[in-house]
Amino acid sequence: MSDKSSSSNASGFNRRAFMAAAAGTAVAAPLTARAAGPAATPSAAQDPQLPVDLTLRVNGQNRQLNLDARTTVLDALRERLGFTGSKKGCDHGQCGACTVLIDGRRVLSCLTLALVAQGHEITTIEGLADGDKLHPMQQAFIDQDAFQCGYCTPGQIVSAVACVKEGHANSDDDIREYMSGNICRCAAYPNIVAAIKQAAPEILKG
Amino acid sequence: MSTAAPAPKANMGQPVPRYDGVAKVTGHAQYAADVPLANPAYAYLVTSSIAKGRIDGFDLTEAKTMRGVIDIFTHENAEKLKEIKFFSNGGYASTTIVPLNSPEIAHEGEIVAVVVAETFEAARDAAHRVKVKYTAETPTTTFDSPGTTSARAKGQNAMFKEDPKVGDFANAFDQAEVKFTATYETPTQHHNPMELFATSCVWNGDQLTIYEPSQFVYGLKNGVAQQLGIDADKVRVINAYVGGAFGSKGSTTPRTAIIASLARRLNRPVKLVASRDQGFTIATYRAETRHDIQIGASRDGRLVALRHEGEEISSRADAYCVGGTKTTTRLYACPNVDSLVSIVRADRNTPGFMRSPPEVPYVFALESAMDELAVELKMDPIELRRVNDTTKEPISGKPYTSRSLMACFDEGAKTFGWDKRAATPKSLADGDWLIGYGCATACYPTQMGAAAARVRLQRDGRARVEIAGHDLGTGAYTVIAQAAAERLGIPYEKVSVSLGDTRLPPAPVAGGSNSTASTCSAVITVCDQIRHRLFQALMPNETLADKAKETVGVGQTPASKAEQSGQPLDREKAFDALGVSAIEEYGEWKPEGAPKDSLQALHSGLVRMVGGPDLGGKIAYAFGAEFVELRVNRFTHEIRVPRLVGAFAAGRIMNPRTARSQLMGGLIWGMSSALFEATELDERYARYVNDNLADYLVPVNADTPSVDVILLSETDEHIDPAGVKGLGELGNVGTAAAVCNAIYNATGQRIRKLPVRLEKIEV
Amino acid sequence: MQPFVFQSANDPSAAMQALAASGGNNVTEAPVQALAGGTTLIDLMKLDVMRPSTVIDINPLSGAWSQINLEGENLRLGAMARMADVAAHPEIQKAYPVVADSLKLAASAQLRNMATLGGNVLQRTRCTYFRDISYGNCNKRNPGSGCAAMEGVNRMHAVLGTSDQCIATYAGDFAQSLIALDGTVEIIGKSGTRSIAFAQLHRQPGNSPQIETTLAPGELISGFMIPGRWPRSVYLKARDRQSYEFALASAAVALDMQNGVVRDARLALGGVATVPWRAREAEGLLKEQKFDDALAERVADAAFAGATPRHHNAFKIALGKRVVARALYQAATMEV
Repeated sequence: MSDKSSSSNASGFNRRAFMAAAAGTAVAAPLTARAAGPAATPSAAQDPQLPVDLTLRVNGQNRQLNLDARTTVLDALRERLGFTGSKKGCDHGQCGACTVLIDGRRVLSCLTLALVAQGHEITTIEGLADGDKLHPMQQAFIDQDAFQCGYCTPGQIVSAVACVKEGHANSDDDIREYMSGNICRCAAYPNIVAAIKQAAPEILKG
Repeated sequence: MSTAAPAPKANMGQPVPRYDGVAKVTGHAQYAADVPLANPAYAYLVTSSIAKGRIDGFDLTEAKTMRGVIDIFTHENAEKLKEIKFFSNGGYASTTIVPLNSPEIAHEGEIVAVVVAETFEAARDAAHRVKVKYTAETPTTTFDSPGTTSARAKGQNAMFKEDPKVGDFANAFDQAEVKFTATYETPTQHHNPMELFATSCVWNGDQLTIYEPSQFVYGLKNGVAQQLGIDADKVRVINAYVGGAFGSKGSTTPRTAIIASLARRLNRPVKLVASRDQGFTIATYRAETRHDIQIGASRDGRLVALRHEGEEISSRADAYCVGGTKTTTRLYACPNVDSLVSIVRADRNTPGFMRSPPEVPYVFALESAMDELAVELKMDPIELRRVNDTTKEPISGKPYTSRSLMACFDEGAKTFGWDKRAATPKSLADGDWLIGYGCATACYPTQMGAAAARVRLQRDGRARVEIAGHDLGTGAYTVIAQAAAERLGIPYEKVSVSLGDTRLPPAPVAGGSNSTASTCSAVITVCDQIRHRLFQALMPNETLADKAKETVGVGQTPASKAEQSGQPLDREKAFDALGVSAIEEYGEWKPEGAPKDSLQALHSGLVRMVGGPDLGGKIAYAFGAEFVELRVNRFTHEIRVPRLVGAFAAGRIMNPRTARSQLMGGLIWGMSSALFEATELDERYARYVNDNLADYLVPVNADTPSVDVILLSETDEHIDPAGVKGLGELGNVGTAAAVCNAIYNATGQRIRKLPVRLEKIEV
Repeated sequence: MQPFVFQSANDPSAAMQALAASGGNNVTEAPVQALAGGTTLIDLMKLDVMRPSTVIDINPLSGAWSQINLEGENLRLGAMARMADVAAHPEIQKAYPVVADSLKLAASAQLRNMATLGGNVLQRTRCTYFRDISYGNCNKRNPGSGCAAMEGVNRMHAVLGTSDQCIATYAGDFAQSLIALDGTVEIIGKSGTRSIAFAQLHRQPGNSPQIETTLAPGELISGFMIPGRWPRSVYLKARDRQSYEFALASAAVALDMQNGVVRDARLALGGVATVPWRAREAEGLLKEQKFDDALAERVADAAFAGATPRHHNAFKIALGKRVVARALYQAATMEV
């Protein structure tokens, strides 16, 4: 049986959305730790249109923001933080162009609220290279000509890195299936498979 | 060597990696919506839910009270924009339907209001709160809907010149030993480039800067200037990277001037990123077509009579037309040919160019029919093409500049293993899967337009090329850098290239696969001007050029042979002789046979394209042969395409790597156009229903297990200085027919109406 | 997306308290919505189809609610386990191939990383008329307004469980394996935990297509239980493209066989019905019968006996039958 009452605190609430002043400290903690932190009291109805403070950790750096609660990670990255590598191709989880890693897992930033990503490590395409040295997957995409227009490419590369780390790059069929969440309208698909095969050994070597 | 970079054959450049590779894999390539703006306001469109009728009024109360909303613009308060001419009639506009100019609604999804707010979130929400009161009329949707009007294309659309015909079709068909007649249909399709239709407009005094993905920045600049009633010199369009276009970003769509107007009014940068569904109606699409094909042939397979009648849908406002009979009537030897193209008007947005606009639907029809004829004649379909191969087109007898069609078939067949094909349908199977092989001809006209470029060469061997061309993923940066490096005798890595900015010398619309031929020809011409000056410094007595031609901005034909030859140049010595550290040349190139005013027109954003059926008394086409292995699940009837092979010949291949990728993508596009892509219309409302990427299906990685591209060596000295035919649109021509031909081979069933879907399969 | 108050629930009782605050009797349309993976809720909020005024982030419950337990003969899945993690679980792949495959064949790797099992079974229809608020006539969105799909473009729509109010398809895959295997749902509410058959979770549209489940406001799905082991099970999904697409028709099949005779059989259908669809009468035909192709075809016919086709989706009946027959064959002949 599962434990259904593992978290416990008085109210269980963290009204960070509108506790602007307190939000910074209460929210920056990882989710698992949040339950143990001091709970805020549910307050009277607040104006949900007011922006909220939050901190996003992107590519290893904390970034403080004051934004509309409706903002997705994608729009926060692009419109507020200057990380425009992640792309908007559909805004509805149908194309994969916005793929980022959150705590190492590939997810769609267009369907993730920035508020939900607080306390988690976001990695974007801009965070893959080591200075001027390209990540092996980036180099492989160049070597294998795994893109044309390049618009889906940041999402493809981030997704590809995760695909390898998940252990889903063991065969061509596996790569194709597990990369099918990233649409490439130029249809560079066979080259994307080749790039992943090129980069996988180096990535797995660490 | 990896397959991504095929070894160059004769008349091919090196498969160097993409010039823009690092920018694109690091996320630093800046697409239009990536450009940071100072304090932008965000626009969100409200589009019409009716296809025909008028707006009675708006209720904006709720929307306007939303926090962050700055203003809402409708036909009641927006600036009236000036009308501009339709692209296909020598203008700029994708459509002459001008939203926000009147309460009239001409199609579903027409822009009826624009909300501008402090944030994207507020603008989107307020757009949902805008209430529009309409009086709706019953719209006409498509072929056979009540209310359509149909008329010959000739005379309606300036780009449609003729209904080609020769000989006496009726009599020859009547007398033919074998007669074949069938009707084919292709559906509405949308380009769906991954990049959304974004537009940012920034005013600085009376200067407007537009960041928008475009296949033709000079066209956009001039089109918007006319709509706003301002001097074109006041407008600058910038887009260094384009996230796919496929024809959708070639002409000026209404949104740009609207956003520019709002930005001027609000005195603030305004940014629009239209949603995916809005992209289906605020830009263009490939309209549905219908084809009647009649073929008369002799028993040995020679065509004696061919008639191709095409019908295409367009909007009420504009006579858009692709008119692919210009290709299909000239593809094979046939003494008696007739054709007719008609435009059928409905209450739709205006269609437009989409990757191989004429050839995809028209060649689908012809190449399906050829396969059916082969079945009827019990001939191998490749042999049927061979019997009807020709070195001159049948309509006016012009010779092809070069034509490697059968070489493509032979090479492709070998790689594909065509000899393993069973002529009898339903002969091959593998477990649950019936296997079919199909093939078809691919062809695309060689086109080009005047272009200008500026090149600067330094004594240290670095060079800079400036041309307002566009890299849509085509490899334009790369091949332009290669062309310059080669002509100037410097390494590829030493060349920098700037594209996509109206401050640069103009290049034609990156459409019709003319881009490489046009831009590289211009760049080569300008490089030759530089070579000329350097050679003159070293060999002043060899030939004396006209003094005027040494001056920046003049002359496109260098005077001496040396600069046009492959003769190496002692660059440093020449620079030292001249006593300068850098040479910069501006030059213009105009293809033979192009109208005299081609360059003046180009500066005004108008293109005078030449080529295809008439290039200096010849006909110029690139060719290919495409092969499909297709599987049909005998239980679920699911259709899969495990293997695609294409062999192509397109004159000089500037870069086998980028060429292969583009053709590979083209093959997959073609497969997709047969099996996946169809914009579903709700005929009650004349509305696109599946206007998103979950329902408008395009292939995913798992759909494309194996794609082989063979590049044939071909040299054509009759086309352009670069010797290039263009291949961006070659790859997806004929593929849909090859797919249907493979379906027939697998199942014995002939599908003449696309898309093929599993419910159409009867096993 | 209308503005909302965002709250983070650090324990179940807080979540339930907040959710119950919305009142009413329809959790689907409740003004307070729980947010887990977000793959349905954020999507529909952007489309303005769902308009919660309060969003409760229940992701903090993930730690406790994502456990996967194979205890004795039963499988228990925490409601906040992510689809990808369950699909990749080696023991589930072995003991419940239908479960693993129904998850693996759904959506994309990214969506499966995000989406929770609880959210997945509650995902809403893909009916384009439902998803586009510019269509006024949708009984699910605006009760009593009519149904645009009925006479519209309805290739993807349901042929089973429809009513004259709604023909929207239940689009998920995993639910088919749950309903086939007699899964139960654990639901936590203010007054404690209750457990119901998974088959009782979804409501057919009938006269109130806007009410999609039997959950009460304030209730959350905490987990799923599947009794028994079903190594001889198959999820077969037919679609236009090879991946990243909803089913045109799918079948979840589980068999218990001895010497070629079917001892027990389970059959559920996806992509063809308004709710997760158990074909009980059809599967009954299999029991204690020797399996052969003819039997499979009879079962398939029975499964679609009550189907109601529309203009574009009539093919789903023939397709669905063939998918059922093929899935049965695959299950019957698989190496276990």
